[in-house]
Amino acid sequence: MIQLNLLINALVSGILLGGFYAAVSVGITISFGMLDIANISQPAFILLGCYAAYVTNLYFGLDPILTGIVMMPLFFVLGMAVYRLYFFAFERRGEQAIQGLAFFFGLLFVGEVSLVLAFGVDYRFVSAGYIGPSLHFGIIELPLRMLLPCVFSLLMVGLLQLYLTRSFIGRAILAVSQDGLALQLMAASPKKIKQIAFGISIATCSVAGSFLIIIQPVEPSIGRDYIGRIFAICVLGGMTSIPGMLVAAMLLGIVESITSTFYGPSWSPAVAFGLLLVTLAVRPAGLLGR
Amino acid sequence: MRNSVFWAVLLAVGLAFIVLSRVLIANEYFYFAGYVVLEYIVLSTAWNILGGYTGYTNFGTGAFFATGAYSSVVLHKLPLLLHTHFGLTIPPVPLPLMIVVGGIVSGLVGLGTGYLTLRLRGVFFAIATLALSIVVQTLIVNWDFVGGSRGIYIIRPALAPITGGYIQYLFSLMTLLAVIAIGIARSIERSRLGLGFHAIRDDELAAEASGVPTLNLKLISTTISGALMGMAGAPLPYYVTYLDPTSSFNLAYAVNSVAMPVIGGMTSWVGPLIGAILLGTIQQLATVMISSAANLLIVGLLLIAFVTLAPNGLIGLRRQNPFLFSFQGRVSRRQIWLQFLLPLIGIVIAVNIAGALVQVFFPAIPGLVLAQLFAIATIWPQLAVCAKRLHDRGRSAWFLLVGLIPAVGGVWLFVECYCLSGNSGANAYGPAPDTGVPAALAQAA
Repeated sequence: MIQLNLLINALVSGILLGGFYAAVSVGITISFGMLDIANISQPAFILLGCYAAYVTNLYFGLDPILTGIVMMPLFFVLGMAVYRLYFFAFERRGEQAIQGLAFFFGLLFVGEVSLVLAFGVDYRFVSAGYIGPSLHFGIIELPLRMLLPCVFSLLMVGLLQLYLTRSFIGRAILAVSQDGLALQLMAASPKKIKQIAFGISIATCSVAGSFLIIIQPVEPSIGRDYIGRIFAICVLGGMTSIPGMLVAAMLLGIVESITSTFYGPSWSPAVAFGLLLVTLAVRPAGLLGR
Repeated sequence: MRNSVFWAVLLAVGLAFIVLSRVLIANEYFYFAGYVVLEYIVLSTAWNILGGYTGYTNFGTGAFFATGAYSSVVLHKLPLLLHTHFGLTIPPVPLPLMIVVGGIVSGLVGLGTGYLTLRLRGVFFAIATLALSIVVQTLIVNWDFVGGSRGIYIIRPALAPITGGYIQYLFSLMTLLAVIAIGIARSIERSRLGLGFHAIRDDELAAEASGVPTLNLKLISTTISGALMGMAGAPLPYYVTYLDPTSSFNLAYAVNSVAMPVIGGMTSWVGPLIGAILLGTIQQLATVMISSAANLLIVGLLLIAFVTLAPNGLIGLRRQNPFLFSFQGRVSRRQIWLQFLLPLIGIVIAVNIAGALVQVFFPAIPGLVLAQLFAIATIWPQLAVCAKRLHDRGRSAWFLLVGLIPAVGGVWLFVECYCLSGNSGANAYGPAPDTGVPAALAQAA
């Protein structure tokens, strides 16, 4: 009976965790899946979002989620700048593979070390009214600090999906992911579209970072754990599809939550990466891939 | 140079290096720092066999390196384990044997990675290796026999098998490993195997279509690369004496083993060697003089700077920008002022202001010291441009050595390079450079 109780709670918290993972991975689905830019420095931008929320919360007492949303334009501009640099140094010359990867790897490392230098390696956390309490429905426990990020994350992912499928620029982004040359023939500039799309993918890091620091205390090196998770989710979800990404995020959240409930949290990083390795080896097209 | 000759020369250089450092240097710290630089020579050379020759980016250096280290831990604890559980008494395992075993185990991990990732190319392979390193780390964290997440203390044997202290012994072993790694890398480069690797790097599909056994070659490449990394990691427990997963799987190993070949140049064995010596030494100096976090920042920034500005590394720079990096040809007085000295002064001032601003706003980041490092980086271009200016004056570049004479030498060199005009018309070092005077006028004069 206690086992069933545990299992149901593990499932529920897995779904909540999955919702949060969706917010973390939606950016990489856009940049890696659609634009073919392997931005492994995404976690560094997420951590930047964490620390932005931390600083505003510490000094001005602002709500972290609100900060995350307000900071989005800044992150958008930052993302466009990074894409400019990437385009200038790699895409223009047509040598994206190794050099581009090494570039983002360096960016990840520089981001992490800069955060260590600026904030130290101590765990940092934010304070907000919803971090302590939980809702109870019978045996099910819903901690608000998981529920709110999950709800807002689903909202953000939904809006992004609407934007991508309904708006002009959103459709252009989908088009560039299918065939950049054809887009050029339609008199649209793939470079500009990609720049906007990359900006959006970095802008999501602002919100995702504010969720992360609500869910758990943060120190600069935890970003690495997320590399595996976000790429696992992106690949599992079939690279280009946001609904697929959402399913994969939920799946990973549930598997991780069950693993850490029944086998201990020290095994949970291996779950995401193991899943990623198996997916890459067995079915690189992903669960819902073409 | 023939392969056997190269091996002989390399071994001689390695042995001479060991003997000379023993004779000349008594300071223990030299051996501690030197060990790390040598370790990076092995790691970056190993990385380059897969990354540079075969074109597969490996971000999982930490996994192979730590596998070697932890296999040594197992061997270290083996005699005690056999004694308490089975009553067997065996002598402690000697370190060279541990290195061989570490190499074999990591080689097997490399082979396994190869099999698992056969279908993956480019980015996916890179991400899979990153994932591999976390999976292996989680296994180690949960394995209590080798210390788990708490880490483990390793007590060094009281006496080293050769004369000198234990750190000197480790240093000598690592020198030999570096010699072996470089030798293997160069032999591969000149062999059919190397040609096959290059074919895979340039176009895997075309290589396969022309009958290159890409599958086997990739497996060989991942195995050799992994084995060398494991061998570099095997002595680590005895070097640090306290081994824990966080430090042995440190991302710094992965970043460094990518950055060093990228900075040195990935096409030949010289690149990783130069990159490792340069970057390794800078890091050791920065760790002592600034802080260990700052030295990692330097590596990251250098990696970004090099992949964006000099994608072929240091050894590619001479071809990429002969004006700044080549020692051949001539440069006119007009060129050295307008295209070198004045821009250089401007850049140095700008870098220093930027560094000072960084330091004011983020006191933790030593911006001004980083700016000073930039000045060191301009030494090569300064020498190269001045050498070409001397050529322009009809002198050999060896006259640069005059600059070593205190005070007078520097003044003479400045007058030679920056004040006097060059030979008109062609001389022994090439045709006349652009002097700013139209050719027709110059002829009339």
